[in-house]
Amino acid sequence: MRDNVLKYVLVAPAVLVVLVTAIWPLAESARLSFTVGRLNRPDSLKQYLGWDNYVWALLEEPAFWNSVWVTGIYTLLTVGLTTFLALGLAILLAPGGRLRSGVQTLLILPFAMSPALIGVSFRFMFNPEFGLFDAFFGALIPPLAQVSWLADPILAFAVCVMADVWGWIPFLTLVLIGGLVSVPRETLEAAEVDGAGPWRVFRDVTLPQLAPVLAVAVILKSIFSLKTFDQIFMLTNGGPGTATQTLSHYIYFNGMKYGQVGFAASVAWLMVIPMVFLTYAYARLVFRKDRDP
Amino acid sequence: MSAGRKSRIGSLVRIVLILFAAFVMLVPIAWIFLAAFKTHVDVYQLKLFFTPTLGNFGTVFEAPFFLGVKLLNSTVVALVTVLLAIPVATMAAYSFSRFRLRGETAMLVAILATQFVPAVVIVLPFFVMFRDLGFLDTRVGLVLVNLAIVMPFAIWMIKGFIDGIPMDTEEAAMVDGSSRLQVIRNIVLPMAAPGILTAGIFCFIIAWNEFLFALILTNKHAVTLPIGLALFKAEEGDLWNLLSAAGIIIMVPMFILALVIRKYFVQGMTMGAVR
Amino acid sequence: MAEITLRNLTKRWGDVVGVDDQSLHIRDREFLVLLGPSGCGKTTTMRMIAGLEEPTAGEIWIGDRMVNHDLPKDRDVAMVFQNYGLYPHMSIFENIAYPLRVRQVPADQIRPRVEDAARKVELTDLLDRRPRALSGGQRQRVALARAIVRTPKVFLMDEPLSNLDAKLRVTMRAELKHLSRELATTTVYVTHDQIEAMTLADRVAVMRDGIIQQLGTPDEIYNDPANLFVAGFIGSPAMNLVAGSIHGGEFVADGGTRLTQVAVNDRDAVILGVRADDIRISEPGEGRIDVPIYAFENTGDSTLLTAQWDSQRIIARGDRHLRKDQNDVVSITLNPEHLYFFDPRSGSRLRG
Repeated sequence: MRDNVLKYVLVAPAVLVVLVTAIWPLAESARLSFTVGRLNRPDSLKQYLGWDNYVWALLEEPAFWNSVWVTGIYTLLTVGLTTFLALGLAILLAPGGRLRSGVQTLLILPFAMSPALIGVSFRFMFNPEFGLFDAFFGALIPPLAQVSWLADPILAFAVCVMADVWGWIPFLTLVLIGGLVSVPRETLEAAEVDGAGPWRVFRDVTLPQLAPVLAVAVILKSIFSLKTFDQIFMLTNGGPGTATQTLSHYIYFNGMKYGQVGFAASVAWLMVIPMVFLTYAYARLVFRKDRDP
Repeated sequence: MSAGRKSRIGSLVRIVLILFAAFVMLVPIAWIFLAAFKTHVDVYQLKLFFTPTLGNFGTVFEAPFFLGVKLLNSTVVALVTVLLAIPVATMAAYSFSRFRLRGETAMLVAILATQFVPAVVIVLPFFVMFRDLGFLDTRVGLVLVNLAIVMPFAIWMIKGFIDGIPMDTEEAAMVDGSSRLQVIRNIVLPMAAPGILTAGIFCFIIAWNEFLFALILTNKHAVTLPIGLALFKAEEGDLWNLLSAAGIIIMVPMFILALVIRKYFVQGMTMGAVR
Repeated sequence: MAEITLRNLTKRWGDVVGVDDQSLHIRDREFLVLLGPSGCGKTTTMRMIAGLEEPTAGEIWIGDRMVNHDLPKDRDVAMVFQNYGLYPHMSIFENIAYPLRVRQVPADQIRPRVEDAARKVELTDLLDRRPRALSGGQRQRVALARAIVRTPKVFLMDEPLSNLDAKLRVTMRAELKHLSRELATTTVYVTHDQIEAMTLADRVAVMRDGIIQQLGTPDEIYNDPANLFVAGFIGSPAMNLVAGSIHGGEFVADGGTRLTQVAVNDRDAVILGVRADDIRISEPGEGRIDVPIYAFENTGDSTLLTAQWDSQRIIARGDRHLRKDQNDVVSITLNPEHLYFFDPRSGSRLRG
């Protein structure tokens, strides 16, 4: 077979799989978002209402805006905290050596844990009677000793953020270590010889060279934060009330629990919008590598 | 002298910080490990010292939990997903790596992008379709949907490995008398084998840990391990000792697999944006 | 019997021209070297002969067959790659045997032929190893053995020595020359190293910007360069090129220095070429003109003396016992029998 035929034959199955498993459901979701879309009435999946679902979500649903708000704050906090802490840890661990590479290996563990399990584990840790973290924070900050973390809207949110940051620090740290060790030694040494102190070396030499990797880390983490579902489902299930109801959880609830698939699909598509921007930014970073080898 | 002392204090502070970070990372995991060996009396107390028991690991496999079924489901679903995804992804990755295709960048970006689409968007139409076709609560259905999340990783990861195989070697084989397919079979596959295996393990971990699809698309027969966690609720609350034992059964195999491929984990997760 | 004929061969990628409408006839059993700086199209030309690159236009003939549309495997050529292209997952034996196996040579012939090829390149003791366990020179030999294990119509070699260290390169060059004489097979050899070209080639094609500048024996391209590019590219140190004019049988360098007597018609703008070896160095006042020394270098087997006047510099080779210092003054005389003149605008050689 000639190469110019073969090359398309080789990609065809993969393209087919992606079409069926990703592109089709995306398109079908878009279609459903314009229907009445009740799970219990199959004919309603073909009853079109135009933009009604979108209008309803945007104008008539405080719960939608609540989950937008929750997701936004959640993303800002988790991305900010994870990046900041991971950068610190990466700087501590980058030099290598037995202790540091040992800890680097440990970092793989939370990373291989199912997010659902992380949720369970944090629910356990913050159990008011026998949770380790609950006891720890109670001892550290006495006013918190008597509260039940997961029953308080703000504290429950804080626990969700903590679980997320805990679960993602390892990944971001490993990414940033990768970036740090690829900063050429000579440029750091040149800056030192030129008379820059450690902070100046970091700010003027390391950080600019780390920027692309940092961008990758921040974008990727933003995407995963926006999508968060598993952990929250197992940790608080959106509660108390809707204090920790992220968009994914809101969509799940409306689609599966209330059976409003059409409405859920419209919210899902509203959620795709920020993803498009982030994906675009990410794709640019990935392909920049190919452009200048 | 004072500069030397300052740097010694500095390095001590750094070591303390590193140990503290390691501690924080390990505590929740360690706590689950401890709880899994506690009796249901001990687990409801903040105890570090207790008489360990293996009983929990027996109980989770008995009625009414039957974790064994979930274990089998998870294994079958993850394994079949990987066995389907890897050959298909390898073929595509080779083509993307070695040829210029019409719309190549668009295809690669689209594949990348499907990874970033919220899983809820994908699962709603599948739920409706599976309900109509009777695929709900089957492993087949779960495998199909899992392919959606695994394929992009597999393609991008394997492409990265094939990019690393020198063109010279393939061209040498062609001049030596191989057809393109012989080149792929005799040269590329053996050379990329470690990378393909790595991608397979990576995808296995992802499929194993997958939660949302299984939550929505299964309820009894095809339930996987992460969903199985929800079983350990009794009227008096969560059965933490059993939950922990189940947690260990879920995470320890993945720990081992993750350690095997740890050098490539970052590359896999970032789809080659960071190597 | 295999000659190679390229007819109006062209390779373009979009606007980038790799090889520009070139024709070339390579004789049977000839060792032809494609020589030029990086990006000149020499490797592209070779890859098109191998079938690894598809020509945009033109024809490639091997023997009496047009091979434009043949796959590499059907062209009956063997190639040695710059990075050797060894199969890392196979033993050395299997590496060398691969061309035979894939062409379905009967199994009982494979071992004797591999051993024979290994003997020719002195690899016999290493056949069980993997490429990883071999040194650069040994890998090079494996690549060679893999090429000679069958009897292809044509050998193609793409900078095969460029990854070796300087010392090894000299040794391997001699071995390659010996082997090529012994095998007497048509060979196309790509290099940017003029010493390799001079020592190995029956004929050299000097290329630049996708165009063959000169095709000739090593002797011809060294002693009778067709244009300014070839003159400047061949030879180490590079040929001196001095801008000036010719008036009354005398070459006057820009700036006014009357450099040498010449036997060429008067001309306003001309470039004079002279090799370092064709300049005699003598004590001040004894030669044609006296000039101060800009730099003096001792290379061990000879000395190189760079003289400067006005804004012009000229480099001359001296006896290995010559000792001078910066700013000393010497006298230099150009050998009038070995002067070359070029048109500064077109770069073409001016004769007579």
